[in-house]
Amino acid sequence: MSTFQRHRVTPWVLMAPQLIIVLVFFFWPAITALRQSFYVQDAFGLGETFAGLANFTRVLSSQSYHEALFNTAIFSVSVALGAMAIALLLATMADRVLRASRAYRTLLIWPYAVAPAAAGVLWMFMLDPTLGVLSRALEALGVHWDYRLNGHQAMALVIIAAIWQQMSYNFVFFLAGLQGIPASLLEAATIDGAGPWRRFWTITFPLLSPTSFFLLVMNTIYAFFETFGTIDTTTSGGPGGATRTLVYKLYQDGIVGLDLGGSAAQSVLLMLMVGLLTLVQFRYVERRVQYH
Amino acid sequence: MARLELRRLQKRYAGGANVLHDIELSINDGEMIVVVGPSGCGKSTLLRMVAGLESISSGELFIDGDCVNGQEPAERDIAMVFQNYALYPHMSVFDNLAYSLKNRGTPKDEIARRVDETSRLLGIASLLDRKPRQLSGGQRQRVAMGRAVIREPRVFLFDEPLSNLDASLRVQMRQEIRALQQRLNITSLYVTHDQTEAMTMADRLVVMNAGRIEQIGTPMALFRKPATRFVAGFIGSPAMNFLTLAINALPGWLTKVPAETTEPLKGELSVGIRPEHIMLTSSGSGHMDARIELVEPLGSESLVHVRPNGHETRLVVRHAGTELPTAGQLTGLNLQGPFHLFDRHGQRLATRPRLADTTCPMES
Repeated sequence: MSTFQRHRVTPWVLMAPQLIIVLVFFFWPAITALRQSFYVQDAFGLGETFAGLANFTRVLSSQSYHEALFNTAIFSVSVALGAMAIALLLATMADRVLRASRAYRTLLIWPYAVAPAAAGVLWMFMLDPTLGVLSRALEALGVHWDYRLNGHQAMALVIIAAIWQQMSYNFVFFLAGLQGIPASLLEAATIDGAGPWRRFWTITFPLLSPTSFFLLVMNTIYAFFETFGTIDTTTSGGPGGATRTLVYKLYQDGIVGLDLGGSAAQSVLLMLMVGLLTLVQFRYVERRVQYH
Repeated sequence: MARLELRRLQKRYAGGANVLHDIELSINDGEMIVVVGPSGCGKSTLLRMVAGLESISSGELFIDGDCVNGQEPAERDIAMVFQNYALYPHMSVFDNLAYSLKNRGTPKDEIARRVDETSRLLGIASLLDRKPRQLSGGQRQRVAMGRAVIREPRVFLFDEPLSNLDASLRVQMRQEIRALQQRLNITSLYVTHDQTEAMTMADRLVVMNAGRIEQIGTPMALFRKPATRFVAGFIGSPAMNFLTLAINALPGWLTKVPAETTEPLKGELSVGIRPEHIMLTSSGSGHMDARIELVEPLGSESLVHVRPNGHETRLVVRHAGTELPTAGQLTGLNLQGPFHLFDRHGQRLATRPRLADTTCPMES
């Protein structure tokens, strides 16, 4: 104890890099955004006037904000559930692989190393209406594919790209979770007369619930924020705002449209929303989690 | 209840390792067979093959006359108690017990009745709402037993179920398991590495070594007449002592000699003497003299480790007196029968008594 009390400066010096990063890249912009959301800037950025809650009421009553909110809901639910379901399926299969399992697992983890923007471009090429490999395959199946014109298809494209990337992250956690379940539990269940399907739902799945809950929170946050790059490089929110999510609208209004006050209000709302969602998840979903 | 028949069972792994060789064993209705052997001898693999958790490479396994080689574990109607209990951590004790019944579509009221009955039989009726992590080691053990009992299976399999318990609880649970098995009269296969557990619980004992069965018999038969040197050394605590002797110069204290066989005996043989059959006496007055190296007092008796003059091996003597000899002293040893004679391959030799005035035929 006394050793630490004597060194008053050293701890701060050691923590400084972390603290500076958090202060500069989180607290400063967050506080600036919060302040800005109460002001209206003039067209040339030379002055601003206090506007109270006007920015918020304008944002909340606009039609395009409601659309973005709806898009975000569709997008986030699809990405979180899709990425988790596919990852769980792949992890369950990878868990049973005995030969060359290491190589197999490494390959499944790779997509996570790809930047979101690059992941988006990758899928954009594969699903390009004129050049894409997958587009041709879809055409052969009788599906007319053109995400540049069809809003639903554009949404599908960004969802697929986001799922493909996030799946790897989920895979790592699910695989670790599966390997933490003692083999004897599943053997006991086998002897107790449970088939593979029933074993999965009554033993494996409940025992994975802490992992699943953690991933649900992480995937929601990912879908809300980190998919910006994916959307920007592929559809840029189009066509006609069909893939404009909250975080993308915020960028368009603030950086492109230069409505700093309105975009600041949106970012404050987004932060509140994600905070609230996480809180709800902890409050209601976590109750059903089996920690053991 | 059921009869279990193992015919020339073999287990080979891809890559060539042959872990079980021609296991032949038949288990009678209601019998408790304990398989004992050092770790890595294949006893757990054997149990898992009977359970259906490991495939059978060759040979046949019969339950009540039906070959079950191709059957799934659930179809074989067996129950298994695992070393780590394998209780489902997210289920209450009730659900743990009820799981196998639910899987088989047993009606709800029937499940409730059987859980109630089983939990009372095992003294865990007050714990039904608890989760496994809220139970002590002994209670978990009982729940694991209950999960096996509740289905009234044809065969019970135990995979070292007591090795995670502390010593006093182990003794208690050992008695409880045995009592329960006898009361329910369920055919059982019990695997352990602990020879005391094996001796006390078994109707018949199977000693395994390096993937082979060394000997099958009642605990006392194996103790009195071990078929191989390995069994002799494995059964009984402290372990049997062995002295290597040249066949053409057998000492006078050996009251038995190898029976005459068609094949002439040459070289050396091994004489096994249990620690309780060696007496300490004053130096010079016994069959041989020895130096006392270590004394381990156990209360009612002591274990005295001695090194006989002219021998490389150390012997253990069970010394009943309360007066302890001191290490470093010279002592005499009186060697009394029964002696167990083994050839250089470790096989038991047939013997005949040696008359006081005749010498061993090989001695001349």
